[in-house]
Amino acid sequence: MDPAMTPLGKMLLEEITPVVMVISTPAVEETCLKNGLSFLQMLTPFCSFNNIDVPVRTASDQPYRIHKFKLRLFYGSDVKKPNLKVAEQQLKQVITDSGEKVFSEKCLDVPEFNHEVTSSEDRDTPSWFQFFNKELVRMASFSDHEAFDHPVACLLAVSSKDEHPISRFVDLFNTNKLPSLLKDGAMDPKILKHYLLVHDNQDGPVDRASKILTEMRNTFGTSDSLLLSINSSLGVPIKHQDNPWASQIYDASPNQDLGCFLSIDDINEIKDLMQDLSSKHIIPNMEQKIRLLNQQVSATRKGFKNQIKNLWWRKGKEDGVDSLNGPTYNFNSIESQIRVLGDYAFMLRDYELALSNYRLISTDYKIDKAWKRYAGVQEMMGLTYFMLDQSRKEAEYCMENAFNTYLKLGLLGQQNATRCGLWWIEMLKARDLYKEAATVYFRICGEDILHSAVMLEQASYCYLLSKPSMSRKYGFHLVLSGEQYKKCDQIKHAIRTYRSALSVFRGTTWSYINDHVHFHIGQWYAALGMYDVAVKHMTEILACSHQSKTTQELFLSDFLQVVEKTGRTFEVTKLQLPVINISSLKVIFEDHRTFGSSSAANTKEGLWHSLEEDMIPSFPAAKTNWLELQSKLISKKHTLSNVCVAGEAVKVNIEFINPLQITVPVSGVTLICKYSTSSDALASDEKELSVKSNNEVDHFRDMSSYNSSFLVSEVDFSLGGGETTMVQLSVTPKEVGTLEILGVRWKLSGTIVGFHNFELSHPKKNIVKGRRKAKQPPNEKFKFMVIKSIPKIQGSVHSLPGKAYAGDLRRLMLELKNPSEFPVKNLKMKISHPRFLIIGNQENVKLEFPGCLTKKTDSERSSAHTNPNIMSETIFSFPVDTSIQGETPLSWPLWFRAAVPGDISIYMSIYYEIEDISSVIRYRTLRLHYNVQVLPSLDVSFQISPSRLRIQDFLVQLDVVNKTSSESFQVYQLSSIGQHWEISLLQPPDTIFPSQTLMAGQAISCFFTLKNSRRLSTVEYNISTTPVRSDVLLVPQCSQDLVYNSNNVPLVNFHHYERLQQKVLHESAPSRLNCGIWLALIAVSNTFIVLGLKGDELSPIQILRISLFMMDLGDLNTVDFVLISRPLNNSINPGLSDPPHVMSHHACHLSTASTGPISWLVDGPQTLHHDFSTSFCEINLKMHLYNSSGTTAFVHIDTIDFDRGGGHINSVNAVSSATPDNQVGWHDVTPVNELKVTSNTVETQPGKALSLESVSPYIWSGSSSTSIHLEPMSSAEIPLQICVFSPGTYDLSNYFLNWKLPSKGLGNSDETGQHSGKCQGYKYFLTVLQSP
Amino acid sequence: MIVCVAVVGHQNNPLYIQSFTEADDALKLHHIVHCSLDVVDERVNNPKKSGPMLNETFLGLLYPIENYKVYGYLTNTKVKFILVTTDLDVKDADVRNFFRRFHTAYVDAVSNPFHVPGKKITSRTFAERVSTIVKSFGFSSAA
Repeated sequence: MDPAMTPLGKMLLEEITPVVMVISTPAVEETCLKNGLSFLQMLTPFCSFNNIDVPVRTASDQPYRIHKFKLRLFYGSDVKKPNLKVAEQQLKQVITDSGEKVFSEKCLDVPEFNHEVTSSEDRDTPSWFQFFNKELVRMASFSDHEAFDHPVACLLAVSSKDEHPISRFVDLFNTNKLPSLLKDGAMDPKILKHYLLVHDNQDGPVDRASKILTEMRNTFGTSDSLLLSINSSLGVPIKHQDNPWASQIYDASPNQDLGCFLSIDDINEIKDLMQDLSSKHIIPNMEQKIRLLNQQVSATRKGFKNQIKNLWWRKGKEDGVDSLNGPTYNFNSIESQIRVLGDYAFMLRDYELALSNYRLISTDYKIDKAWKRYAGVQEMMGLTYFMLDQSRKEAEYCMENAFNTYLKLGLLGQQNATRCGLWWIEMLKARDLYKEAATVYFRICGEDILHSAVMLEQASYCYLLSKPSMSRKYGFHLVLSGEQYKKCDQIKHAIRTYRSALSVFRGTTWSYINDHVHFHIGQWYAALGMYDVAVKHMTEILACSHQSKTTQELFLSDFLQVVEKTGRTFEVTKLQLPVINISSLKVIFEDHRTFGSSSAANTKEGLWHSLEEDMIPSFPAAKTNWLELQSKLISKKHTLSNVCVAGEAVKVNIEFINPLQITVPVSGVTLICKYSTSSDALASDEKELSVKSNNEVDHFRDMSSYNSSFLVSEVDFSLGGGETTMVQLSVTPKEVGTLEILGVRWKLSGTIVGFHNFELSHPKKNIVKGRRKAKQPPNEKFKFMVIKSIPKIQGSVHSLPGKAYAGDLRRLMLELKNPSEFPVKNLKMKISHPRFLIIGNQENVKLEFPGCLTKKTDSERSSAHTNPNIMSETIFSFPVDTSIQGETPLSWPLWFRAAVPGDISIYMSIYYEIEDISSVIRYRTLRLHYNVQVLPSLDVSFQISPSRLRIQDFLVQLDVVNKTSSESFQVYQLSSIGQHWEISLLQPPDTIFPSQTLMAGQAISCFFTLKNSRRLSTVEYNISTTPVRSDVLLVPQCSQDLVYNSNNVPLVNFHHYERLQQKVLHESAPSRLNCGIWLALIAVSNTFIVLGLKGDELSPIQILRISLFMMDLGDLNTVDFVLISRPLNNSINPGLSDPPHVMSHHACHLSTASTGPISWLVDGPQTLHHDFSTSFCEINLKMHLYNSSGTTAFVHIDTIDFDRGGGHINSVNAVSSATPDNQVGWHDVTPVNELKVTSNTVETQPGKALSLESVSPYIWSGSSSTSIHLEPMSSAEIPLQICVFSPGTYDLSNYFLNWKLPSKGLGNSDETGQHSGKCQGYKYFLTVLQSP
Repeated sequence: MIVCVAVVGHQNNPLYIQSFTEADDALKLHHIVHCSLDVVDERVNNPKKSGPMLNETFLGLLYPIENYKVYGYLTNTKVKFILVTTDLDVKDADVRNFFRRFHTAYVDAVSNPFHVPGKKITSRTFAERVSTIVKSFGFSSAA
């Protein structure tokens, strides 16, 4: 790499060149000003020579040639240190000007930061930096400590118009006027002088001038006197194609013709003049001076002797005054001469010579502590090293050394330090050490804020250019620099730097920094009055949830201020405040589906679908067959788009989120819609849309204007900090056509309008309409075909409580209305949870509730028996003559019962057809959804154990716990369901319920006897048996009239479903072969009932049917109870708006056959006296057996004599050991729950203590084993006998009863659940006393 | 005293920045941390400079600025930990120790099944743990 070709090399070749001092008379200037130029300016373009060839010899007589050369011209008055203040001012002006210029260029386009582009070197570095740096370097010029700014020659110019030109020449170089450098001895005043006579050709012929020239030649010598005649072009001003001055003068206005009177000849004359001056005078003169000085230096300083001398002499001087500047050196001191020699050599590019002299002098200065000079020499050494392209380290070391030394000098060295730093930077840049260059820039930043701003900016570009590029530091330094610019009011620069910085931070998650940058750009633009751009930047930071509350407030208030200043409502396409949760977007529209409430609309389509499956004629209903009329009405295209009905609102639910901690007022939230009348218009509109999409805001503005064909709703709300609000917006089309929803618009704080386009940004939508989703292009989802208005039924259920206690039974009213004038027909209804809600009869409307539940009316009885048909029918069809039209609503009773505690969602769907068959939609469904919260009330549990007194009698223990927190209930009535169970109280009700109420938290138990009244003769169970008393009133004072009839309309239906449900629960652990299948079914049906419908695999209807099938096979030994209770009116919590009247609790499938199908009873004396002195005692006992199963049973009784001292054989072991040996292959594993029932009975508890104490051996004296066959539903009696030998109390449980039902194959085995068993005898105590 | 600690994700996105100063200098610290990523990148790309140690996670002193010293640590998943301190003479061993503990805390925090990888760490437990580590850093260096 040629150092001369680097930017620094070029700069040095331009800046460190011989200076020619120009001194001219006013007349000369006047002549030149005709061309719009000063004399100096006129000459300047011709001072750099790119193509000369001057032979030079080095001091050691080495010849070389100089091809490029440059002279710097300065007026004598300018040869001095620049005035700092003026210079500063000038620099500031430069910055301001460039700021304006660059700003206006860059104002509109935001620079896109791209890592790949950064490699291009001068990509973004503003060009004015170079100019600025040059100016900075110039600020340090004409210092007395360095010689290259010292004029090497003086050009004296006198006009031919001047009086006494010769004396003028002498006057011009008068010492009084000379610059201080020459005057105070810093440099040699004897310099080369050149005398130039300037003649203006417009003033007349050249005669007089040539006369003066002759005179001059006589006085000053031939070679030094010259004549220059200019302004030769007469009359018309010349336009120069390549104006050589144009680049020279910055502030020239472009239309000014510089050098307009200078003809080509004139220009050539000037050119020749300057070339002669440099090649024939200045260069040889310098060369000569170098020789001279070199000789002197060699004489005094070179050689061993001189060195010793110098050292000695220097040391002696060390005691001298240690001033900051060090000693002053005259121009004829040897130090100055060495320096001059070095600089001259440098300027003539004899770098070796220059370097040797610099080295020589640098130690001297160091010893003398002449720091500034030392630094200057170091600086030059660095540059020389660089130009020699030697030892890079050395060069950098020198520069750093110089820089640090200058810095140490403080203010004195400031400008020099800056200059040195800039050179150093250039040197580093030339070697691609950008990162290091950046740190130097950073170090240059001095006190002056403006300078440091520029330097920081330059540093940032260095970071960008360094490899690998350090973009983050680039950004950081830009921000720093912007901050500094801002401090000195260079707002445009500040904006520019921040904008560049933005390119680094954009897209990153460094939100603090991003916010800071955007906010300040916005502020500054606002300060400049460019509010539009300001708003644009401010909108970026609105959603700053991570900032503190105060910052958020600041941002928002500033933003609003700026918006206010714009003086109009601002419209922004992607306003981030409030945030729209696009995933929450939900479009609700009603085609053939209509919704009773928003919660119904929010329910999953699949749930409705499975509910309505049986009701809706066929799918898809909208697509009719080709024969029908309406298929022609719908073009194929339209079958894809959604259908909505004119006059019915399309609703859009959307969530607005406020990310801030402060409250944000939002107003005027509306949908942006587009309406077109026909389908053809639609296609063309789409094209139009795509054209317009790049001008979205305008487009939206058009759309939002008032349109008569649809109505949009407007919503205002205020979002508190961090709040999320779901907003429902609606658009109501008024005419048939096509409606498209484009987006949403809102107003923030009343001033700024935000838009959000639904389509373009987010292709995926969560829309209610499910099934055609995949096929639809995204736009279609928001496009609706508006059809003419058709009837729509509105419906609601009156007085459905939101909260109810479990068991609460009430009558509700379904009210349907059809506001339109068109009739509807064929109404059907279906309810998802028949356990909770069943459909009543039209007659029920008139009945009084709850009185209708009692046994008063006989008519109910008949209806009770007809109802089971309705029960199994899951779809309810309204009578054919039902019509709903106009204002009169249709009311239909519903029965509600809160079956189980929990939150219950009840879905109802009402189907109706439209009589007008020309409509696209032929039927519609109304979907209603209600939520009921059911609170626990009474916890009812039953325990049934066989009575030991009578066979076929059972003891029922009823436990009721009041689980509520405050309510009191009256337990009113217990009914057994089924015709063959008779129930009665053990004690009169007064003794059980003295207070008649059950307070919160209280529990009661009462006992009943249950009697199976089924006749032995009837194997088939017969409903038409004689009525038995199956209801027991638990309240004494009431008359029999008020007994609730559990066979009455709603109760029996509810009981049916309750049975169904509890059956399912009972079967949860079935012991059957196919239990796996059952489990699966139960699981499905459970989810159906408890959680709602799920999946399409098995419809709930099917499940119900399966369950019904199971019910019919129900066990004969189970009993169902219904407990009816009433709340006490005075104690009802006022929070419940509608207090319950009647509550029913159902317990189903309570098994009485705890010991299997066989029940037995040992009958005998309890106590008897016997005289043991005579003989042992024989006691006869009887065992009654009863077979409650439907088949003949084989019963086998084993008596065991030996005493099992350690206790009884565990009954579990006994049974399980009995089963495995009697069956091989596939057989039922006897379930564990069967055994648990056995062990529940008190009798089998092993009484260890008892047996030790009191059981003395007794002997079964009858047959040890008896077997009988027991017919179904029949009883038998077996005699038993024991012998006892001493008085005592005996436990007669030492026997086993084995029973076995004949197996009828797998199919029937389910009927009873078990077909063999082994039971231990229950305790029966017999006390024998010694008779007196 | 530790002024600031930060966790920066592998896409140079900030995961956690916590300053421990009274003053409102969040922005400054953000800038410092952000800039230090350049140095981390440089260190990673020129492994010669960062020493011969293979698999060394501790990056050492990244750069000194004004009154601060910035230290870095790079995990195997390219998650960076940055430490900004005002202490002028910090022992490398202390910093290493600090980063090791910090790393453990981070690993525990992101092992939380509810943490979304690549998202900011919002765990309060993590914050508490970090602040105790930061506090103990001062003691161990004093001892």
